[in-house]
Amino acid sequence: MKRKNWVRLDNASNIFLAAMTDFDTKVFRLSAAMEESVDPKLLQEALEHTLEAYPLYRSVLRRGVFWYYLEESDLKPQVLLDEQPPCSQLYHFDRKELLFRVVYYQNRIHLEVFHALSDGTGALWFFEDLLSEYVLLQQAQAPSDINKENSRLERTRENANVDSFIQYFRHKGQRNYTDAAQSAIRKLAGASKTVGKFALRYGKKFIQNEPTSLENKKKKKKVYQIKGKRTIDNRTHVVELNMPVQSVLTLAHEQQASLTTYLTALFIEAIRKTNPAVQDGMTIAVSVPVNLRQFYYSNSARNFFSTTRLEYTYDPAEEINLAAICKTLKEQLQQQLSQNSLETRLNKLISYEFNPFTRVIIRPIKDGLLKVINYFNNRGLTFAMSNLGKVQLPQTIDEKVHQVYFQTSAVRPQFCVVSHRDHLSICLNSPFIDTTLYKQFVRDLTALGVPVTISANKIAGPELRGEEE
Amino acid sequence: MNYCQACKVSVNGDWLNCPLCHQPLEKGSEPPLPNPYPDIPLRFNKKQVMRILTIISLATISISLIIELFFLHSPKGLNIVSFGIVSMWLVVLIIIRKRRNIAKSIVYLIISLSLLSIYWDYVEGWSAWSTTHAVPMICIFALIAMYIAVRLVKVEVEDYIVYLLCAAMIGLIPAVFLFFDWVTTPLPAWLSIGFSTVMLIVTFIFYRGEVLRELEKRMMV
Repeated sequence: MKRKNWVRLDNASNIFLAAMTDFDTKVFRLSAAMEESVDPKLLQEALEHTLEAYPLYRSVLRRGVFWYYLEESDLKPQVLLDEQPPCSQLYHFDRKELLFRVVYYQNRIHLEVFHALSDGTGALWFFEDLLSEYVLLQQAQAPSDINKENSRLERTRENANVDSFIQYFRHKGQRNYTDAAQSAIRKLAGASKTVGKFALRYGKKFIQNEPTSLENKKKKKKVYQIKGKRTIDNRTHVVELNMPVQSVLTLAHEQQASLTTYLTALFIEAIRKTNPAVQDGMTIAVSVPVNLRQFYYSNSARNFFSTTRLEYTYDPAEEINLAAICKTLKEQLQQQLSQNSLETRLNKLISYEFNPFTRVIIRPIKDGLLKVINYFNNRGLTFAMSNLGKVQLPQTIDEKVHQVYFQTSAVRPQFCVVSHRDHLSICLNSPFIDTTLYKQFVRDLTALGVPVTISANKIAGPELRGEEE
Repeated sequence: MNYCQACKVSVNGDWLNCPLCHQPLEKGSEPPLPNPYPDIPLRFNKKQVMRILTIISLATISISLIIELFFLHSPKGLNIVSFGIVSMWLVVLIIIRKRRNIAKSIVYLIISLSLLSIYWDYVEGWSAWSTTHAVPMICIFALIAMYIAVRLVKVEVEDYIVYLLCAAMIGLIPAVFLFFDWVTTPLPAWLSIGFSTVMLIVTFIFYRGEVLRELEKRMMV
């Protein structure tokens, strides 16, 4: 009998499993619009070729007593017609199934990935290789002079399965369980002293100036939460925007902002315009993931990202202007992306995972605790945005791909951005039926002179039957 | 392509109204490009599921009330009905929740049905029928059932071996009943112990490697 390889999940994945719900499946989707209708047979063949280089994608997720783990499987992925709502659930506990799917519809190829398997960048590598294989197979059928060697992306496949979180942020003392326990006991002894000192100091402070803490409470920022009625069968509501990248970049540069901060600022403004209450000193907070591969060298195709939290509080006394919002967002982003703050944050997260006390808590309880943490995290956020950047394929392949799209399942309204050649695509995803916020965001963009084309999925009975509401 | 005058956007697909502001779209001169998002029928309707669940619950309650009023006059009979209903729901829930892992569902059934029968015995005034007959019999037949089930549905060794081990260990618990003399006749308890011991020895001889590997994976801290 063949022995099956297995690896433990990375640090970020555990929260995805705890936070996964029926409507927020933690699945994201990469799509490419090709020149012609997709040939499912060729796509299947391309998928099989691509999979050889990505053994991780053959894994299934399993539950241990203390942790989840990824186990190698012999399952063969099957290319299917797009017959489920975007970002439908991929992982069901106790069921052995692959954590990604490849579907097609008309001229589009979609790759859907469960976030515990990989992050956007890791999945984009797989997707780029899949597209290259597909186009090469297509070329092989029709006589052409494409050079095969130039059409494959040069990618180091070494260490693609490495958990880079552990590689960069795990302390030596945490390597094996006994060491970890001993070092923790030493720390605990130290910590109890510190706690004692801290309590003493805090107690003194409290007696000295009691009123300040009351004032602080009043000042505590109230984070605005977008509420709405969920779609009937929990499907994600998608509105996809296509626009020329240059016109948006010009607008962003006018405000001395990057594309990410500019679009985030526009979205914050759209929220304010649709909800006048926000203007009255409420905070809008946004979660923005960052790819850690740009700061720490890594070939890992697994998760390797961190999130930043940016916020803007409207001051009723001040005049509102977009440039000011862009400026605060930019400053916060720079601060949170400094090496120091990134390292502090990640070291802390990893040390929670390898803390000997958390390690011996059984998994269902861990999941429960993470669910509680996730609930409070969510309460501190208004929306989320994710920018995958610019997709660059080898030139011969690039000509066959019209446009690339990126979207994810959503617990709250959010948007995903990706650009390819001269096109920029923004996918607005939401668990809610209502489109007022989207309408505002799109109208703000078109009012600035950006030509926008939209596509949307149908979410209600009457629309699906072609009736007017 | 269709165009929304209010939002100033072009819209792909066969939409009659703007997907953003729901106002009628202006027809373009060219036919619209097809919608890249296929029409996917509703998968389920949350409201409908809730309605069915409510009907079932109401029906169960009214049937037990009818039984109470017309057929049974002693509280003991009512006990039997309520225990019957509880065990039925328990079995159904475990089977639905653990349907993808047959070996695990059998382990859950052994534990829950044994506990239920002990509680039932206790409520009825403790005649030790649960510890003498019910628990040992549940353990023996659960092991046999698991052995047949994993062969019928072709479960891989590594997927059931740990649960088989658990079931065999639970089968040793009647030894405790013997020790504290909670039995009226010792035979069923001895049968369960003997059967489980044989199972454990067989597993140890033939599947030691698999058991250790599975435990290493599943018990990783």
